[in-house]
Amino acid sequence: MGNEKSCEDPAQVMECALDMGETMLRCGAEILRVEETITRICTTYGGGIVDVFTILSLIILSWKTDAGENHTLTRRINPHSTNLNKLEDLNALSRYICEKRPPCSEITQRIREIMAPEERRIYKSKIAGYVLLASAFAIFFGGNLRDGLAAGIVAVLMYFWDYFFSSHNRNRVVYSLIMSIVAGVLCSLAVAAGIGQNLDKVMIGSIMLSIPGINLMNSLRDMMCGDIITGILRLAEALMVSVAIAAGFGIAIMMFGGVLR
Amino acid sequence: MMGAFCEKYLVMIMTAALGTVGYCLNVNIKRNKILYGCIGGVLSTFLYCVFAEAGLSLLMQNLIPAAVVTFYAEVLARMVKAPATVFLIPSIIPLVPGGKLYYTMRAIVDGEGSDAKIFAMETIVIAVGIAAGIVAVSLVFYHTSHKKVQFKVRFDAGQDAVPDCKARADKQ
Repeated sequence: MGNEKSCEDPAQVMECALDMGETMLRCGAEILRVEETITRICTTYGGGIVDVFTILSLIILSWKTDAGENHTLTRRINPHSTNLNKLEDLNALSRYICEKRPPCSEITQRIREIMAPEERRIYKSKIAGYVLLASAFAIFFGGNLRDGLAAGIVAVLMYFWDYFFSSHNRNRVVYSLIMSIVAGVLCSLAVAAGIGQNLDKVMIGSIMLSIPGINLMNSLRDMMCGDIITGILRLAEALMVSVAIAAGFGIAIMMFGGVLR
Repeated sequence: MMGAFCEKYLVMIMTAALGTVGYCLNVNIKRNKILYGCIGGVLSTFLYCVFAEAGLSLLMQNLIPAAVVTFYAEVLARMVKAPATVFLIPSIIPLVPGGKLYYTMRAIVDGEGSDAKIFAMETIVIAVGIAAGIVAVSLVFYHTSHKKVQFKVRFDAGQDAVPDCKARADKQ
């Protein structure tokens, strides 16, 4: 068993494991999942003792193989955008790796396939998602059909705002603030133009577009599994984004509320 | 009784279903998993409506649906072999206090401090309720399914250090 396992170069295995960990973290996995994946891949290929430390922006992997060699790699994780679709693929891939032990080149290849940058074009399904989300929740919180329509129109415009500007930013808090100001102004205009009737319902619909739900959920799950540091980092980001959203809409109301009422 | 309930909450449940589908599309959940998220969203909204009608406290109105939906997501994750997050996040979305957050902000902007305080309190209570519901159920699943994973083996039983050294000596 030992001989069979030692056919892969440890440096290459670690590279693969870190690739998996990094991509999973960037897609929005919990810390426990990342650490477990890395540990399992390393032990599958070479046994030994694996130490992983992961926070939101860093992975440190130290591995003492069965042959008694020590290896350490560190990787800085860049800001990420959550993509649950890719996370699911990566999860399936890690199951496959631990069952089948494919060669490292195949793993790298498949990670590259999964993480291939999406074609930059206007996705109709995403527009549909924005519109459904905003208008359904405008009605959910007590609006009428016209409020839903107004929220839908704002959502389409917000999709294009996201499309043109979201790739340039690193700071989510500032981006959420600016996005919320724009959304608030658009909502005010939609109501002023007579499309929507209740400003509050239209705005609530648009707020749901940018709520940091995944961050909050992951922070909860992290803290529960004992990764308090990352939990706090994610919670802080989520709270700051929420406050930024509220502030953005507040600024929009202050700018336009007096004029339009 | 039943008819009144339907009349009052049918719109909410239907829009929750639609909104959940929208959210799934928004965060790139796989097409064949959207239905599960949608069912979860309807389930949480329905329970929320039932408990709101039954007159439970604001905390419990959100805690129990969150707990039930978490159970649903964790079970589904084991059946379909996908991360529980994929099912959990869309299911929770209808409970998120987006409306209360707005009214808090609105009251602050309008300078109505006492209203702002009440709405902020309610926002926090709902958030805490959802969090507590999720944590309570997830903890059970976490502790039943992660028993066999052991990260730390180095100093257990005090015999690991010896073979390592031996292996290194052999190699040299």
